[in-house]
Amino acid sequence: MSAAPPIMAVQNVVKRFGGFTALNDVTTSFAAGRLTSVIGPNGAGKSTFFNVLSGSFPPTEGRVFFNGTDITGTPQHKLAHMGIAKSFQITSLFPKLTVQENVRIAAQAMRSRFGLWQPRSALNLSDAVEALLLRVGLQDRRHESVDTLAHGQQRSLEIAVALACEPKLLLLDEPTAGMSPEEAREMMDLILKLNAERTVILVEHRMKLVMGISDRIVVLHHGTLLAEGTADDIRRHDEVKRVYLGQSV
Amino acid sequence: MTFDLILLQIFTGVALGSIFVLVALGLSLIFGLLTIVNFAHSQFFMLGAYVGVAVLGLTGNFWVALLAVPLIVGAIGMVCERVLIRPLYGRGIDYPLLLTFGLGLIILELVRIVAGTEGIPFNTPEGLTGAMDLGVFFFPKYRLFLIAVTALILVALWVFLEKTPFGLIIRAGARDPEIVQVLGVDVSKVWLIVFGIGTGLAALAGVLAAPIRGVFPEMGVPVLVEAFVVTVVGGMGSLLGAVIAGLAVGITLSMTSLFYPEMTTLSMFVLMAVVLIFRPRGLFGRAGVLD
Amino acid sequence: MESNTRPAATAKAGPMGGLVAVIARHRVLAALVVLAALPFVTPYEALAVNILIFGLYAMGFNLIFGYAGMLSFGHAALFGLGAYGCGVSIAKFAIPWFLALPIGIAVAGIGSVVIGWFAIRSRGIYFAMITLALSQVVYYSAYQWVSLTGGEDGLRGVNVPAIDVFGLHFDMLDPLVKYYVLYALAAVAIALFSRILHSPYGAVLEAIRENETRALACGYDVARTRWLAFILSGVFSGFAGALYAIHLSVVPIETLNYFNSAEVLMITLLGGMGTFFGAFVGAYVYIMLQDVMTVVTVHWQLVVGILFVVLILFFPRGIWGSLLKWVRA
Repeated sequence: MSAAPPIMAVQNVVKRFGGFTALNDVTTSFAAGRLTSVIGPNGAGKSTFFNVLSGSFPPTEGRVFFNGTDITGTPQHKLAHMGIAKSFQITSLFPKLTVQENVRIAAQAMRSRFGLWQPRSALNLSDAVEALLLRVGLQDRRHESVDTLAHGQQRSLEIAVALACEPKLLLLDEPTAGMSPEEAREMMDLILKLNAERTVILVEHRMKLVMGISDRIVVLHHGTLLAEGTADDIRRHDEVKRVYLGQSV
Repeated sequence: MTFDLILLQIFTGVALGSIFVLVALGLSLIFGLLTIVNFAHSQFFMLGAYVGVAVLGLTGNFWVALLAVPLIVGAIGMVCERVLIRPLYGRGIDYPLLLTFGLGLIILELVRIVAGTEGIPFNTPEGLTGAMDLGVFFFPKYRLFLIAVTALILVALWVFLEKTPFGLIIRAGARDPEIVQVLGVDVSKVWLIVFGIGTGLAALAGVLAAPIRGVFPEMGVPVLVEAFVVTVVGGMGSLLGAVIAGLAVGITLSMTSLFYPEMTTLSMFVLMAVVLIFRPRGLFGRAGVLD
Repeated sequence: MESNTRPAATAKAGPMGGLVAVIARHRVLAALVVLAALPFVTPYEALAVNILIFGLYAMGFNLIFGYAGMLSFGHAALFGLGAYGCGVSIAKFAIPWFLALPIGIAVAGIGSVVIGWFAIRSRGIYFAMITLALSQVVYYSAYQWVSLTGGEDGLRGVNVPAIDVFGLHFDMLDPLVKYYVLYALAAVAIALFSRILHSPYGAVLEAIRENETRALACGYDVARTRWLAFILSGVFSGFAGALYAIHLSVVPIETLNYFNSAEVLMITLLGGMGTFFGAFVGAYVYIMLQDVMTVVTVHWQLVVGILFVVLILFFPRGIWGSLLKWVRA
């Protein structure tokens, strides 16, 4: 595990909301090219951890590093240009635009900043957009508006939009939320394929889903790092068993 | 430039600020709960002055007017909330704002039609004319009265919000409307009453300001902008912010009128700009409410 | 109509939908054809000039309100800065009109850079309040600076009696000639505006309006995109203001009044926010209505108020927006 250099690392990260401590002194790192899952029971601080990693809000204390650079407090839009993309737990797309336009706008971000005079078509993004739609299986829906898609398709589009900025690191916050078991398995297959080309950090509530596919698992509990290691390590971990059995997951 | 004079101006500023505080409190209260900016707020202020004139004409008693005005205008406000604003809840923040702007125009023109476009004199009530010796300087009695009434309202409002069950609901609702709903409270009733209180406060400020500012249809126009500056400086939805910023704006205005009279109106905008540079959400603004 | 990114519902909407699609494809041409006929469908030419100018103003305003989704209540300052910038250049410094016009636009541009810088960091209601307050700063400044602006009486002597271009002589005292001179200038602005909407930047604006969080995660600098939208919007509004100064030969202080901010809002809502033609449709209806109402009653603002309330409650899409929905349904 330690052979690959870390692409992302957090050092002594603390996050407080008023008097409530959501994350308490978490230190860990994520190896490049691997698939790491962050799991934990309800209220473990998974979402807060995800938001700190993805730069939605800065930690109260501690630092976040990406490829060795300190990115604590870096504005989100700059993170995207550094190669960090994310999908949201609650689907976050451009609801009134078409499927194709959603992906096109996401892809455009890497090509043009304030292109005012040329037409949109001049950016020649259609091949890239086509490939992404194919990848998530939405090529037949390209002209439909997002709010007419089924939930599972919206989740897939969410992935395509995240991929459109050609990220080195893909952060996924419960990508299977609200999916049927079958859809969830398909999603996991897709994530495995995506991992072949880039680092993936996956935050997931359902422990079983990630056990088979993760290179490494990080367990959070009450805002602290409870355990980390391979799936087998985690299965054997007494504390983890106790915490999860208590929650009957 | 003596120390007395500066102290006098500060006092004048506090009296001026009292009006701002009352107007901004109503605005902030309504925003805090209903998350709408009442663009008609200044017209309720103006309406208060006119209703005051009417009640004074009927009864000849200033004190009766002072009591009746907030009740009457507050009731009008409640009718407006029920009929016009309620259908817009949940349709985004712009629509209620635009609607209340239209409502303000309607109130303004109706007053012009009923009461004419000319101003109406409003005499300082008997017993409050003249000045009082405060030791260091003489200060107009009516302005002292203004400060006292505002202080009284603040105390009453504080007791109402902090010590009564209904106040508790309002404070909880301002923090999180869903919680109130979960607790089984009829939120629409809360909103209705809060809108009534807010517009009633504006009307009270209107009748209180009448002896100083005069009564004319356009008297509300500068008040809207002044109240906005106060709420922006204090932070939207913060009652403490409304009080502190109201007084700060009042004092800023009176001090500038002493040193650079021609800059008086602009001074409050400078204050606002400075606050915005350092605190984009105002002095006591909360994160999240505005996004 | 509002963009080429919407679902292609027009295809299945029959002949009306087909017509709309054709108009959408050639929207600049369509707008110019209709505007060319405008002086013949208004009671007198000066009214057509007003519609043209306020349509242009609403078009600029629509960029920030309809396309970027931010409610500015201070656009009178930008329109007024354009008018005063151009007017003062002509009346006080005898600068020729073809230089005064860009000066007016530049003044409005600088104004929107400054106002935008303060306002853009806030959103929603706060944005509306701050833009209103800052526009009042401009109003009071113009009110006090009598030597330059004429103060309360307005700026007089913005005389452009004739315009000579490429050996052609245009008598600006002839209202019809004046209309077509201003029309030619407006045409340039309309074409530029359409181009901006069509650009990648236009797509980003829509994306931010639809979902700011996602746009941020995609790598768009939301704050700067918005700031630029405010500045562009101010430049178009200032251009309309500069034309207004030339049209009236005076700049009334009312151009800076907050009521003027409300009027452009009204026009945009009436026509349909976020639609390309809505601005001009709204300007036509509003100004014609105003023209009739001011004759009937001095209390015409009552009608404006009622119109506001009725529109918001029952027709939030406006005339053109409702028409589009009906055609596409």
